[in-house]
Amino acid sequence: MVSPSQPGGALSNRVRIVVATSVMLTFISYWRAAAIVLNDLGSSAFYAGGIAEQAVGKSAPWFIVSVMLFSFAVRAVYVESCSMFVRGGVYRVVKEALGGTLAKMSVSALMFDYILTGPISGVSAGQYIAGLINETMATADAHGWVPRAVHMMFKGGTPQVNVNGTAVAFALAVTLYFWWQNTKGIQESSEKALRVMQITTVMVVLLLAWSALTLVKSGYQPVPLPTPGNLKFSQEALGFLKHTYHDQDLAKMFGLFGILIAFGHSVLAMSGEESLAQVNRELAHPKLKNLKRAAIIIAIYSFVFTGLTALLFVMIIPDSVRIPVYKDNLIAGLAMYMWGPQVLRLLFRAFVVVVGFLILSGAVNTAIIGSNGVLNRVSEDGVLPDWFRQPHPRFGTTYRIINLVVFFQLFTILASRGNVYVLGEAYAFGVIWSFTFNSLAMLVLRYKYKGERGWKVPPNFRIAGREIPVGLASVFLVLFSTAIVNLFTKSLATKAGVGFAAAFFLVFSISERTNRRKHALAEQQMQEHFQLLQSDTVERKELGIRPGNVMVTVRDYNTLSHMKWALERLDTAEQDIVVMSARISQFGTAAYDLSTEQIFSDYEQRLFTRAVSVAENFGKHISLLVVPARDVWSAIVQTAVNLESSAVVSGLSSKMTAQEQAFELGRAWEATPEPKRQFVLQIVHPDLKVDTFHIGPHTPSLKTEDVHLVHRLWLNITREQGLDNLHHHDILTEALTRFAREYAGHDREDILRELRKTAGKTDTTRHPVGEVLPESRTLPPGEKPASKKGDEGPPSPPVVSP
Amino acid sequence: MDLLARIGIRILESMFAVGAVGSFVVLILSGIEDIETLLGSDEPTHTDG
Repeated sequence: MVSPSQPGGALSNRVRIVVATSVMLTFISYWRAAAIVLNDLGSSAFYAGGIAEQAVGKSAPWFIVSVMLFSFAVRAVYVESCSMFVRGGVYRVVKEALGGTLAKMSVSALMFDYILTGPISGVSAGQYIAGLINETMATADAHGWVPRAVHMMFKGGTPQVNVNGTAVAFALAVTLYFWWQNTKGIQESSEKALRVMQITTVMVVLLLAWSALTLVKSGYQPVPLPTPGNLKFSQEALGFLKHTYHDQDLAKMFGLFGILIAFGHSVLAMSGEESLAQVNRELAHPKLKNLKRAAIIIAIYSFVFTGLTALLFVMIIPDSVRIPVYKDNLIAGLAMYMWGPQVLRLLFRAFVVVVGFLILSGAVNTAIIGSNGVLNRVSEDGVLPDWFRQPHPRFGTTYRIINLVVFFQLFTILASRGNVYVLGEAYAFGVIWSFTFNSLAMLVLRYKYKGERGWKVPPNFRIAGREIPVGLASVFLVLFSTAIVNLFTKSLATKAGVGFAAAFFLVFSISERTNRRKHALAEQQMQEHFQLLQSDTVERKELGIRPGNVMVTVRDYNTLSHMKWALERLDTAEQDIVVMSARISQFGTAAYDLSTEQIFSDYEQRLFTRAVSVAENFGKHISLLVVPARDVWSAIVQTAVNLESSAVVSGLSSKMTAQEQAFELGRAWEATPEPKRQFVLQIVHPDLKVDTFHIGPHTPSLKTEDVHLVHRLWLNITREQGLDNLHHHDILTEALTRFAREYAGHDREDILRELRKTAGKTDTTRHPVGEVLPESRTLPPGEKPASKKGDEGPPSPPVVSP
Repeated sequence: MDLLARIGIRILESMFAVGAVGSFVVLILSGIEDIETLLGSDEPTHTDG
């Protein structure tokens, strides 16, 4: 969205802005983040148990439980990786650790995972719906409620729908629906995810409570322990090994290897864990703490939901029907075998289907969003042809990537013919390999990465000064051994997964080579999504910010400590932050349109990418602004005035003192035409010492008796124990705080009455934005402002709004 | 070939067994830490002056 600027006019009024809107994320609480991940992770509870039991037999629930326990450890790996890289996910992590080739391989595996998430979720939801339709029809038929005409349509038998066919039709419809939603660019809201998880929680609580009652009233079937002797592998579950060993009692022969095979057939129960890396970017401050909170909620919830319900399937649903009838809709089967009247059971089953529809449909959408995000991310690095990134002419979305993803998903749904088991087996390939790549990369990064790391997977030992990441290595060993075994035991997944990943890898590699030549100069341009908006004048409404905001000036991306200082202290819910960079242009260029590349060059992109990353680490909003100008001081003042900023925060210049910086800014303020407003300039030194200056009319002139009163109070109070370091301004702060409290409380009317009495006795000037500023005093032109540091005490937050 | 397969299987088994024990330790340590984080309150926002 670039609009040409109007030529002519005063240079200072003709500044142009570039706004990057991708940073306008809606930061979310850890509960919402957990809900988003659980929409994906929790959905596997609807099909993982059935798939695992078909593969390894009746003791499968123990393997699901062990996978869910292991997911606690996998979660720790993701927390560590998220604490290092806010943005980028598995691709970024693997690329940093192992280079571009393995990063492309890992992304190919992840894409396979995402592309299969949609079909398996859609088909599974379809299976639940078809199962409910058939069960309802059967019940109605048993009561003689089905009309003869309907019977005739089904050759005299009970009206039943084709389960797999219905599942395919439903999955296709849901996928197409979300394809259109994503093409239009309708974002999935965390609010919706939270609602779905609330409804799911109601279902889980009812399910567990009713199951407990059923176990007490009707007894239970024991779940065979996960010993090699209890494993009953199906022919499909042995994959390539079935041609090597024709003996059905392979589990006993294999021993621990059999356990490993069974574990490999259950890993899809923790699919969705990778979504944690996606939501991390949007988590609110304090990011790491909230990430850990979200992660533990996810782990506990999925353990209870997926793990415990898997056990309940075998304990409650009879063997005769569990796999033959309910293998693809086990939770529905569980509902039907609860203790209680049939009507209630059928109603609960309907509720299960509604919840399944919501959560599984959500997973279809998550799959499209996730794969679109991953492909967008890799295309920024030039590993996907630019053609894919062309925005939709009407909606502005990357519709070609969405089309590609949805095409693969529709193809997969049709090819599966509604068979959840086949989809699940293939799905596990993507899940296990993307986890394995991530954990391997994290292991390598323990030695390679020297940057900031918020948290480490425990335990870690030091031997001869070298850290041994025991925990991380352990998780990797389990994932790697499982992934290798799965290569042999999941023949379909191996063929499909390797074929798909190889095709994607090839496309990525060829594109990268082509793009490298084509975009040698634009490499950095791909670092962040910036929506550029060029405007004649800088105005608040362009940035969508409120008056009294704080403007942080940035220039060098290696010195953003002052920005961190401001982010740490400001509550962006109360006060907006604008990060501004002045782009110095040559004389005369302002009369002509500057191209986007000229204003928002590689340097600005790198600078703002870093700024965005810093802000995201704090989980806070910032608005970004580039102001082309001939004079940096004029640009800062003009922008602060136009944006009605209450404070400007800058770093200490390498060439000037803080006083000199303030002097230059004060002079620029004097040269700025009216209307203009004063603001506070805070210069943050590298050691985070802060010098504060008032630019423009500022401190109210106190009456002599007020000054004396403050001084008398100061003298008295400093005699008190522990208050000898008190400043005059501390007394004013305390007095004003108490005043504000009383004004907000019961004494409001009394205060107003008193103020009305004194009104008119004091000379006041009403400020354009509505603040009442007693006696304005402008920074004297030509006079260097004195630093307040001697009287300022510790640095105060840059919050100066009324 | 059979010997190689058996050696490979034993290596995978060992990796899995060692990894499983270590992962259990990760589960305990990180789980305790994270539950403390979950139940703990946010530190008050640091303000100077």
